[in-house]
Amino acid sequence: MRTPLVLVASLAVVGLIGVAHPRPAHADVKIVATVPDLASIAKEIGGKKVSVTALSLPSQDPHFVDAKPSLVLKLAKADLLIAVGLELEVGWLPSLQTQARNSKIQAGGAGFLDCSTSISVKEAGNTDRAKGDVHPSGNPHYLYDPRRAGKCAKAIADKLAALDPDNAKTYAAGYAAFAKRLDGARADWEARLAAYKGAPVITYHASWIYLSDWLGLDQVATLEPKPGIPPTPSHVAQVIKTGKAKGAKVVLQEAYYPDKTGKLVAKKLGGAVVSLPGGADVGQGESYVDHMDQLVDKLADALK
Amino acid sequence: MALVAVAAPLTAHAQPTPAPPPPPAPAGAAAAPADDATAPADDAAPPPGDAPEDAAAPDGDAADDDEDLSDIEAALADDAAAAEDARPAPPQGGLAGAAAALNPDLSFIADVAAAWFWGDDPMQTGDHDPQVNGFTLQQVEMSIAKSVDPYFRFDANIVFKDDGAEVEEAYATTLAMPHALQVRAGKFLTRFGRLNATHPHTWDFVDQPLAFGRVFGGEGNRGAGAELSWLTPLPWYTEVLVSVTDPHGEGTARSFLGASDRALDTPLDVQTTAAAHQFFDLNDDWSLLWGLSWATAPNPSGDATRTHVVGADLYVKWRPITRASFQQVALQTEWLLRRRQQPAGTITDLDTYAQLTWRFAQRWGVGGRWEYGGAPAFTGATVVDDLDPDWTEARQRATAQLTFWPTEFSRLRAQASVDRPAWRDPVWATFLSMEFAVGAHGAHKF
Repeated sequence: MRTPLVLVASLAVVGLIGVAHPRPAHADVKIVATVPDLASIAKEIGGKKVSVTALSLPSQDPHFVDAKPSLVLKLAKADLLIAVGLELEVGWLPSLQTQARNSKIQAGGAGFLDCSTSISVKEAGNTDRAKGDVHPSGNPHYLYDPRRAGKCAKAIADKLAALDPDNAKTYAAGYAAFAKRLDGARADWEARLAAYKGAPVITYHASWIYLSDWLGLDQVATLEPKPGIPPTPSHVAQVIKTGKAKGAKVVLQEAYYPDKTGKLVAKKLGGAVVSLPGGADVGQGESYVDHMDQLVDKLADALK
Repeated sequence: MALVAVAAPLTAHAQPTPAPPPPPAPAGAAAAPADDATAPADDAAPPPGDAPEDAAAPDGDAADDDEDLSDIEAALADDAAAAEDARPAPPQGGLAGAAAALNPDLSFIADVAAAWFWGDDPMQTGDHDPQVNGFTLQQVEMSIAKSVDPYFRFDANIVFKDDGAEVEEAYATTLAMPHALQVRAGKFLTRFGRLNATHPHTWDFVDQPLAFGRVFGGEGNRGAGAELSWLTPLPWYTEVLVSVTDPHGEGTARSFLGASDRALDTPLDVQTTAAAHQFFDLNDDWSLLWGLSWATAPNPSGDATRTHVVGADLYVKWRPITRASFQQVALQTEWLLRRRQQPAGTITDLDTYAQLTWRFAQRWGVGGRWEYGGAPAFTGATVVDDLDPDWTEARQRATAQLTFWPTEFSRLRAQASVDRPAWRDPVWATFLSMEFAVGAHGAHKF
């Protein structure tokens, strides 16, 4: 009979201990990004003033991340949550946000940034899942376009300056340095791939439209008959036919998708599969620009 | 009460650093937010509670924060009063689209099954289980979810069946309580163990485990009440919670007051549930979640008789995320020890299930489950378990299932089981079930 009271009382005591703990005076801004590319960009902007964690690995499909309680812990302590948005994380992030008990990083909170609000979105308005696992607000794979990634970086820098005005200059400088490096790299990438404007490519998932938009590639087919539906024999046969008719030689896909079908199609078309991690391997010190560099290298090789 | 307590510290913490750099003296600091905060009232913009959106200062000086706090709180209280007078009339016209965007996220999930039993009088214990030969509409669940305001979100699950509709859950969850606390209030499934708080569409098998049907009832343990949970500051995930809920309900609290209409004599007659959960990332691919739970409430057999249920749950999952793979393997087991005081003694029984599921391809998975419902042990003069008078010996059930997911919004399942109660002939059962989800269904927990 007395046990519930004891429990409530001990909870109250422990809660009070929490109250008494002073917060460190000049801590880093703790940033949590849903995907590694955003984590990398945020780190470049914030430098030593921030600590950054990503909720997913580059080898993970960001549509299907497990809402592990360990991620709740990261969000509970975060000052800023940066998301890709456009329902990419809808299957796991909202549950983590609620469990985090952190008002800052709730949607609408001061420490929540949906990067998609800073870019121009493609393919918005798909609201019928008869078309597959579509994203009603638009295609969320915009980080393959460095121009859009640059806009996103600006939004992150602005958000950091608003959250931590004392270090606003650091963030502005961090952004300027990143933008310069990105623009320089982009000019190089564009020059290397300029010859392939209009080149037909096949992709696994509909995740490369922003890349095609940036480089002027012609995306002629996807191996998935519809987003989220695995390739079927009849559809793959159709893709090979289309690929042959359009002269496509390259199959683009993230490394987290199975590559057997892609290899088969590429073989039939006399081309190659370009298989890439879904983001920068930040754990190994790789940056967003490094990741894009790798992408352009492989793409240039395959398109040759 | 709770709202006031929550709102004050939140607003105060967020306020000290408005857009211009913080003024040097405390007096000046108090003046600046006051000016800022009057603006919303004049502009007829959001009430002062929204101010944190523009000004959060994670890097602010802690000492200054504390000094400024009382001044700021006073200023905000004045402004809140002013805003009350100056509250604008709602804008009119041209808002159809915007208003629609304020609609809650709505989703429907339908579960239908075809069943065939071999053996007399199948003893399925779940209310959503197929119970008879032929077709069963297990449920149509409507889920509603939306942020209420910056402090609460609202979730509800309304279930439609052939015999009517029921509000299974409708509760608010706090989003902005300090010190990693969270309150849920309304009507909800208690977080006893792992499976109890979840809905059939997240279950790996078509039917509810016997353990929950026997101990809590065919609907799982739920009721109107309130829950306080705390995410401890330990470096690994540790959450503790305590909830108080209505101990009535034949299908939701059968070992407690159940179908009895006995009123609560003291506040301690509510059902009290306490639980602790811990999670460990063993590495990127392996996860372990375990918990201990305890629930207690009076039972109607005597004047001061109570039922205690103690539970332990374990969930171990392997899902490779460091390389391309669709594979997932999960082991899940829960153990419930129930002790019911009777006027002349006690009845004790142990109920458990253990299941292993393997998703071996993007769209395919298999699973096996073993269940055990122990024989009731009597002390004292008690000789009859009035909830399940026939359940005098141990009962075991073995189940296997094969699942096909066309997409993550649909699921087809075939399941076969053999139920072996030691006191009667076994029952074989086969189910084919289909599940469809439409709408904006929320994210699930791990």
